[in-house]
Amino acid sequence: MSYTLRGRIESRLAALALPLAAVSVISATAKQWWPLELAAVMVGVGVAFDFVYHPVLPYQPGWAALPLGLFELAAVMAAVLGLHVRAPLALALALFAVGWALAQILGHALLPWWRLSYAEDGGELGRAGPVLALGVVVPFALAGMLWYLHLPPTVHLASGLHRGPYVIERRERLVGDRGAVVVGGIVVRHSDVTISHVTVIGGENGIVIDGVDHVVLDHVSVSQSALDGIHVRRAAVVIRHCSIDMRGIRFGQGIDISYGTDKGESLVRACGVVGGQEGIVTHSAMAEIAQNRVSSTSLRGISMTEMSMGGVEQNTVRDANGVGIFCGDHSMCSIERNDVARTRVDAADGDQTRAGFAIEVQFGAEAELSRNELAGNPLGLGVFFDSIVRWKR
Amino acid sequence: MTGRVAVVGGGLAGFIAYLTLRRGGLGPDEITVFASEPDPAAAWRRRAAAIRQTHMRSESDGHCLPTSFPGLAVRDARQRRSLVPLVRSICDRYHPTVEDFLAHVEELRACSGWTTRVFPARVAHVRAVAGGFELDDQGVFQHVLLATGHPGNAMPEDLGSDSRAVHAYEPHDYAPTVCVVGAGLAAATEWLNALAAGSTVISVRRREPVRRPLNVPRPYLSRRGLSAFHRLPPMRRVGLLRSLLVPSYPPGREWDEPLARAGADGRFRIEPSVNGADQVICATGFLRGYRHDALLRPLVDEHALATTEEWVVLAPDSTVPALTDSTRTLALSGVAAQLAYPAADTLMGARYVAHAFLRRCRTR
Repeated sequence: MSYTLRGRIESRLAALALPLAAVSVISATAKQWWPLELAAVMVGVGVAFDFVYHPVLPYQPGWAALPLGLFELAAVMAAVLGLHVRAPLALALALFAVGWALAQILGHALLPWWRLSYAEDGGELGRAGPVLALGVVVPFALAGMLWYLHLPPTVHLASGLHRGPYVIERRERLVGDRGAVVVGGIVVRHSDVTISHVTVIGGENGIVIDGVDHVVLDHVSVSQSALDGIHVRRAAVVIRHCSIDMRGIRFGQGIDISYGTDKGESLVRACGVVGGQEGIVTHSAMAEIAQNRVSSTSLRGISMTEMSMGGVEQNTVRDANGVGIFCGDHSMCSIERNDVARTRVDAADGDQTRAGFAIEVQFGAEAELSRNELAGNPLGLGVFFDSIVRWKR
Repeated sequence: MTGRVAVVGGGLAGFIAYLTLRRGGLGPDEITVFASEPDPAAAWRRRAAAIRQTHMRSESDGHCLPTSFPGLAVRDARQRRSLVPLVRSICDRYHPTVEDFLAHVEELRACSGWTTRVFPARVAHVRAVAGGFELDDQGVFQHVLLATGHPGNAMPEDLGSDSRAVHAYEPHDYAPTVCVVGAGLAAATEWLNALAAGSTVISVRRREPVRRPLNVPRPYLSRRGLSAFHRLPPMRRVGLLRSLLVPSYPPGREWDEPLARAGADGRFRIEPSVNGADQVICATGFLRGYRHDALLRPLVDEHALATTEEWVVLAPDSTVPALTDSTRTLALSGVAAQLAYPAADTLMGARYVAHAFLRRCRTR
């Protein structure tokens, strides 16, 4: 078929009309945005590709649908990941597969059968084309409007000191102006909360997130808390570009994410943690800990333990006492491309498992290692108590 | 007789137009077909038989139905209970057999009511009158499609009186030494036919044939290529048309390998001129241009229609602009419509014209 650009787009929209209707229903029924977000990504990627295909494919044989479909699937999945669309993988793949299959059935059979001049019109649908486009654009526009109207209210925290604890009990986007400081900690008690550009000083824990969903901490700084810098329980959170100063805090952890295995995966990315017992630690949680810088901890630098599961990747760990990166207690860890140096022997208790290991896997844990830089430590890798280590090629 | 719609010509183009009009909602009594013989495939069948054609050059959609789907690959798959025809079609490797194509035409003829609407008459004269066109003494019709077909076989002038010469589309056998003049699909078919018959083949050609799957590049089969083609002024359109219509035949081993083997055995060679062969087969196609058409020539002359070189100037929908308005339609189909659709002399071209003609008949 030699498509015109308009024909490509109209044929694509025709193929996606049914899946779009389905996701609209799913979205409304489940009261979730991800189905619509996923559909929007599919439409966006598809139409963008149509602009690419048009000049390079003056004629598209039927068989080309397969490689082009795989190509588009890769692009859609990359966009889904990049845009943090929270779509279950199986459903995302199923939706794409249905859309692709419908496109083939429509493009090769139903549309040529229904519209006499479909082939010679280059896939254009005549008067039905603009109607179809409206049929796709209008629901998305309405959904977008609805989404906008339901955005959490944005609260600007003025520069200067604010006495805490600051308790968030509604959907909210808390944005700190330059120099905004909360003294006494922040407690998040509602789902769908984003906190950005806020400095927290003091408090029992710097920021507490307990039993809520969809919380994002972006560009937050925490210091001088009595216990943990960021304390997460039974929740999956996104923490990025944070700064935690735990110097002088003897028993607290920089970031502690615990007991949220059933809540989904947390993400800790591009944070700096100084001091504390453990810089970043998970207990019974799924997490991706990546591109962080952790230093001067008194127990371990980064720790995944108590049946945690996830990745520790591209982190820099310095001056950890006893252990740099720890995977323990039946956890399953992927430890890749980390840079661990200047780990110190814990001379205080004489424990052989704390003899300055850059990476330690302990007590039935399983770790997969790859391309870690472990120079400048008393010991490189320690494996204890029925643990397993695999090297990824 | 007076009616709404007349189709002049009962060949494949006329047949496709009839089926399209019926699919578009016109009743059989609204359509009158003037044809010299009731079998729409008769002329085509004779030519295919003459060159012993076994497979169509067209693909799955090379059929007479008004829509491209379901094509002959679907029909074949259903009959053979096999997905192979569909897979081959998806890969652009499906070419129906002539036998299947003709059987399909016959099926359609039998179930479409075609026979009842064909009036055995050769229309010789079309005259524009108020609100329609008068066809000889057959009456006045509001919308008329002229599907007169090829005006005749083209023979090179210097071979016209040569007793050895026969046109490829006339019945013939093969002499021990055969010279084939031409470089298109008919010529290529004749090379293989003559070789298979044990002849030595001399190919005489003015230019090297283009190798492409269909008569014209595929973008010119749809609006993608046609939009630019239609935007050209008629003279430049003719220039482009000439370049698109250069002799061609499909690529593929089924063509190349027998020729290579015969070449190695000294049984196939290319020469610059006809000399010494026992038989000369002129695979030189058809007479080209409205001047050779007994119906179009007087139509153009009497109504002073715009022409450019061999072609009547047509609108993109293949109507004759000077004789088409809000009350009536005169459209050309088949080879005469190439200025509207470069592949107008193919089944797909006939369908393109039929669709456009239907739009006018349905809305007026």
